[in-house]
Amino acid sequence: MISAIEGIGYTASGKVDKKESQDRERKAREDEIKKQRSNLIIAVVLGIPISLGDMANMFPNLLWFVPSFLANDRVLFVLTTIIMLFPGRQFFVGTYKGLKHGVTDMNLLIATGTGAAYVVSVAATFLDLGPGYMHTYYDTAALLITFIVLGRYLEATTKGKTSEAIRKLIGLAAKTARIIVDGVEKDVPVEDVKVGDIVVMRPGEKLPVDGVVTEGMSAVDESMITGESIPVEKNPGDTVIGSTINKSGSFRFKATKVGYDTALAQIIELVENAQTSKAPIQKIADVVAGHFILAVHMIALLAFFFWFFIGFEAFGVAGSAAFAGVSPFLFSLLISITVLVISCPCAVGLATPAATMVGTGKGAENGILIKGGGPLEMAHKINTIVFDKTGTLTRGEPQLTDVISTASHTEEEVLRMASIAEKGSEHPLGEAIVRGATAHNINVPDADSFKAIAGQGVEAGFGDKRILLGTRKLMSDNGIDAIHLNASMEKMENEGKTAMLIGVDKEAIGIVAVADTLKEHSKEAVDRLYKMGIEVVMITGDNARTASAIAKQVGIDRVLAEVLPQDKANEIKKLQAEGKIVAMVGDGINDAPALTQSDVGIAMGAGTDVAMESAGIVLIKNDLLDVVASIRLSKLTMSKIKQNLFWAFGYNTIGIPLAAGILYPVYHTIIITPALAAAFMAMSSISVTTNSLLMKRSRIK
Amino acid sequence: MKDKTGKYSLIGSIISSLVVVGIFLGLSLFKNSGRAIPLYTNVDIMAGMIFVFILSIIVSASIWPGIVEKRLK
Repeated sequence: MISAIEGIGYTASGKVDKKESQDRERKAREDEIKKQRSNLIIAVVLGIPISLGDMANMFPNLLWFVPSFLANDRVLFVLTTIIMLFPGRQFFVGTYKGLKHGVTDMNLLIATGTGAAYVVSVAATFLDLGPGYMHTYYDTAALLITFIVLGRYLEATTKGKTSEAIRKLIGLAAKTARIIVDGVEKDVPVEDVKVGDIVVMRPGEKLPVDGVVTEGMSAVDESMITGESIPVEKNPGDTVIGSTINKSGSFRFKATKVGYDTALAQIIELVENAQTSKAPIQKIADVVAGHFILAVHMIALLAFFFWFFIGFEAFGVAGSAAFAGVSPFLFSLLISITVLVISCPCAVGLATPAATMVGTGKGAENGILIKGGGPLEMAHKINTIVFDKTGTLTRGEPQLTDVISTASHTEEEVLRMASIAEKGSEHPLGEAIVRGATAHNINVPDADSFKAIAGQGVEAGFGDKRILLGTRKLMSDNGIDAIHLNASMEKMENEGKTAMLIGVDKEAIGIVAVADTLKEHSKEAVDRLYKMGIEVVMITGDNARTASAIAKQVGIDRVLAEVLPQDKANEIKKLQAEGKIVAMVGDGINDAPALTQSDVGIAMGAGTDVAMESAGIVLIKNDLLDVVASIRLSKLTMSKIKQNLFWAFGYNTIGIPLAAGILYPVYHTIIITPALAAAFMAMSSISVTTNSLLMKRSRIK
Repeated sequence: MKDKTGKYSLIGSIISSLVVVGIFLGLSLFKNSGRAIPLYTNVDIMAGMIFVFILSIIVSASIWPGIVEKRLK
C-alpha cells in the first residue's frame, strides 16, 4: 500500500507517534520550500540568458548587447536541457506517476506544454526540417518552467506562512521545569516531567506542564491560551495550564498532564489537523479541476486542428508580420501550448486550502479552535443555535443574589446569621451563601452546633441563639410565622432563584436567595445572534420555571426545559427535521451526544474533554461572544474561498479563448504567448494567496 | 476485473487516438491534394501526427476507463 501511495507522488509510512508525525510534516514543508527555492534559482539564472539569446535571433538590432554565443541554438539547447532536467523534472515525474495510476493533474498540462516546445526546438536544432522550422522555442520551455516554479515556490512558502499560528503555539512551550526530587528542587528538561511530579514555580516563570496547585498562591497570565488579558488568581486546588506565565507569587503544583496530553499540545494538534483537512467545497473544487484538465486537453486539440486546417490559411498567418514564414504546425502548436499552460488550475487548487489555513490560523490566534474545513464551512450556514444552560449560558455554580430583611433587622444581620448556619455545610447552596457573606466583608464565626434537615434546610446553634435556614415547611414545623415574607419568596422563586427563609429563635428575620447567574457576555452574545438572524434556543434539564427565568434574563424566546441528558440529541434531531441547520453549544459530558448530532458542535474550553472531543469548534476563552466570532470567521473564510474560486476560474474562462487565438483575426498576432500565459498563471496563484492572506487583517470581533 | 479494465482501456485509447491521427492525416493529405505548392510539408504532417497522438491519448486515456468499467458491470 505504501509503495502504491508513493507511486502517485505522495509520501506514506507505517503508524508513527504524534511527535514523529508532526516533525515529519514540518520537515516535509521546509524541504519543499528549499527544493522549490533551488529550482527557482536555477530556472531564473538560466532562463534569463536563454530568453535573451533566443530573442536575439529574432531581434538582433534591438538586443545588440546580447553576446553572440547566447544566440547559438546548441548553447540554448544545453542551457534549456539543464532547466528541463532539474527544475522541470518534477513535472514529468509527477505526470508519469499520475498516469501510471490513472490520475491526471496539472503536472500533465505543464509537461505537455514544455515538452512539446522543447522537442520541437531540439528537432529544429539538430535536424534539417526545412522552411518554417528555423526558429526554436527554447525560451518558451525555459520561461514556462521558470514561472511555474515561481508559482510552486510561492505556494510552498504560503503553506509555511499559514502555519505561523502553529509555530507561535509551539514557541509558547517551556523548555525546562523545576521539580522536587528526593525533597530537593531540581531543574530538568520539560520532557522529563512525569504525572504526579511536584513542580515549583517562581514569579515570572513559565509553567512547564498542566497541573493542580498544591501549595502557595499567585496570579497567572493565561492570555496566551485563553486570550484573557487579566491574570487569574490561583489558589490550592485550582488547575493551571502549561505555557502560561506565573506573575506575582510562588507556588507548587502537581503535574496532571504532561507531554502530548497538555492543553497546549492538544491545541497544536487540533490546529495542525484543521489546517491539513479538506473542506467539502475543496473536494468539489478538486473534482472540477480533474474534469477541467481533461476539457483543457480537448480544447487544446480542437484549437490545434482549427489553426492547422482552417485558421492558418484563412487568416493569412504565413503572410503576417509577426509570423512570417512560420510553419502551420509550429503556429498551431504554439496556440495549443498556450491553451495548456494558461489553463493550469494551480490557482483553483490553491483557492480553498489557502483560505482554510488562514481562517483556522486566525481562529487559533483568537482562542477559537476549529477542527478542520468541515465545521469552518458549515458554521456560516447555521440558522439555529442551541445553548446548554448550566455552565454555558450560566456560570454553573450558584451565587448569592438577594438578601431581604424584615423591618426590625438589617440585611447584614440576615446574611451573617444565614452564613453562620451554613458555614458547616458542604452543600453548594450553603457554600454560595458563605462566599457571598465573605464577599460583603462579613465576619462569619463557626456555629456551636449544626444539623442538616433533609429536604428542608439546616439548623444551627450559635451562642444562645437557634438559627433555622430553609423552606416554608421548616419554619412552620418549628412554629415560626413567615407569612409576611411569602410575597418576596414567591417573586424570587418565579425568577428561578432558590430562596431560603431565616428564622432566629421564633422570629423569621429575612430571606436569602441564591441562583446560578449568567456569564458576563451571555446576553450580549444572544442579542448579537438574534441580530444576525439566527434563532436561539436554550436546552436544559431544569424545571420549566427556572429555565424560563434564565431564558428571560438572557433574552432567549424558545426554551426546551426538563430535557433528560440522553434526550438532548433527540431535541437537536427534531430541530434538524424542521429543516434547520443547528449548532449546539455545550460544555458537559451530557452534551456530547447533542454536540455530535448537531451540524456544528461548539464546546466551551473549560468544559469536559468529552465535550471538546465531540465538538467541531472549541472556544478556549469560554466567552460566548466567540460563538458570534466563529460564525463571522466562517462567513469571512467562505467568502474568501468563493472570491478565490471566482478569480481562479474566471481567469481561465477569459484566458483560454485568448490563448486559443480568438483575437487573432482582429490583431493579426497572438495576444498571449506561452511564456506570458505562464506569467499570468503565476500571477493568478499570487493573487489567490494574497487575497487569502488579507483575511489576517480582517476583524472577526 | 481491474486488469481487464486496464487492458481494454489501453486498447480503446490507442485505437481512438489512432483514429484521430488518421483523421488528421486524411485532412492534411486532402488539403495538400490539388495544390501546386503543398500547404503542409512532410515535417508538418509527421510532427502534427505525433502531437495529435499525444493529446488524443491523454484525453482518451481519461475517458475510456469509465466507459469500460460501465460496460463490464
